Amino acid sequence: MNARLALRFESDGGRTRLHVDSQEPPWKVVRAFPQANGGSLVHLHNVSGGVLSGDRLSLDIKLEPGAKAQVTSTGATRLYRSRAGAADSRHCTTISVGEGALLEYLPDALIPFSGSRHVQGTSISMAAGATLFWWEVLAPGRLAAGERFAFERLRVESSVRVAGRLAFREDFSLAPRGRPLARTARMGQYTHMASFCAIQEGRPAALWRELEDKLNQMALHGHWGASMLASNGVMVRGLSTTGRGLPARLIDVWRVARRFLTGEEAVLPRKVY
Amino acid sequence: MYHEALLRLLQLADSALPVGGAAHSFGLETLAAEEALGPEGVEEFLRDYLEEAGTLDAIFVRRAWRGEDLRELTEEFTARKPARESREASLKLGRRFTELVNALTGAPVLEAGLPYCVAFGAASGVLGVPEDAAALAYLQQSIAGLVSACQRLMPLGQTAAARILWNLKPAIARASTLQEVSCFTPLLEIASMRHGSLETRLFIS
Repeated sequence: MNARLALRFESDGGRTRLHVDSQEPPWKVVRAFPQANGGSLVHLHNVSGGVLSGDRLSLDIKLEPGAKAQVTSTGATRLYRSRAGAADSRHCTTISVGEGALLEYLPDALIPFSGSRHVQGTSISMAAGATLFWWEVLAPGRLAAGERFAFERLRVESSVRVAGRLAFREDFSLAPRGRPLARTARMGQYTHMASFCAIQEGRPAALWRELEDKLNQMALHGHWGASMLASNGVMVRGLSTTGRGLPARLIDVWRVARRFLTGEEAVLPRKVY
Repeated sequence: MYHEALLRLLQLADSALPVGGAAHSFGLETLAAEEALGPEGVEEFLRDYLEEAGTLDAIFVRRAWRGEDLRELTEEFTARKPARESREASLKLGRRFTELVNALTGAPVLEAGLPYCVAFGAASGVLGVPEDAAALAYLQQSIAGLVSACQRLMPLGQTAAARILWNLKPAIARASTLQEVSCFTPLLEIASMRHGSLETRLFIS
């Protein structure tokens, strides 16, 4: 199935207004919730319940200058088993954050089921003065069903470009049968990985170093580390043997980074973690 | 390979090259301190490391050798290194390597500000070292440096270290030829991020 969802957020007199420029099933956005800071909260639904073999899903998010948006999902992204001979499923997200705009992109975990083959691409471009808070969680599969790294292949391609300069780029291909993940060079004893980025154009390196120290001093349960990126941001990465506590840890990190960079408190999406 | 080019490559890839490589562990010190890595696991660790970070390094050696824009390569390589200490280690080694190559050749062969793998690839191209040899030599010296770091971090003797390096030759050869950019080393990245918080440290990174 080929499907595209295109969301555009426009700043209109202190409020941010959502425009749904394209919405093809299984994508579904019901409504935007106004937030106290003038921003707009949107929940992404995939009404098919997950990504099916051969699906090609695209998500375009555009924030016009000055807009504020929080985009989350209604649940984990399930990657279903791929059919023999079918193409890898694909989910490509393209995000543009305009001048002075703020995006909080906070999707739920990616769960690759046994036998799934998937490509996940996220490309983010940010203009002058733009701010981004973004997290991702990768689960090992349906642990309750006894699955643990039983997927066939997962390719992840991510990049963040800030005012034309590459701030973060990551490409990896996981094929656990050929390249076991439970190795010290990869995930060690851990099964879940969380990544968080806070990026804001135009801030000095010393400020990112200060935020790095602040985040590293947090007493986070599990195995975590924080580091300033090559430019314009900081990354926090965590590993855990369970997915249960990860959202809470990410929220803690997000709160600290949000307050540090914007002077505002993080407002949790209207959902149950 | 011309004899002089081979000899230059041997010198530039020698672990005794004074660029400061012995001061960096790229996160290994944290893994050893947290008992995630011991002498019995070094060979397997480095074999996996070669499949991930080693392949990435080799690809950048080759791209620099082929004459791609060095500023763009540097921007991309550093963006791919989220852990500050490891990223800065690569830039520090690159700076010392650049200064040394420019001093030895008596010409501004390399520009400033390049990560080590980019500087190594670019210098190899200029000095007439074949591309495959440059990628192989870079990985060989890189792994030799990590083995040496392990010898200082854990009870790993000289013969055992030499055997590990010997056994890894096929993995080095394979990593030098892989084309797909793929690097997945979250535990090592976090180890590098946490390195600054270790109470005692032998290494800068």
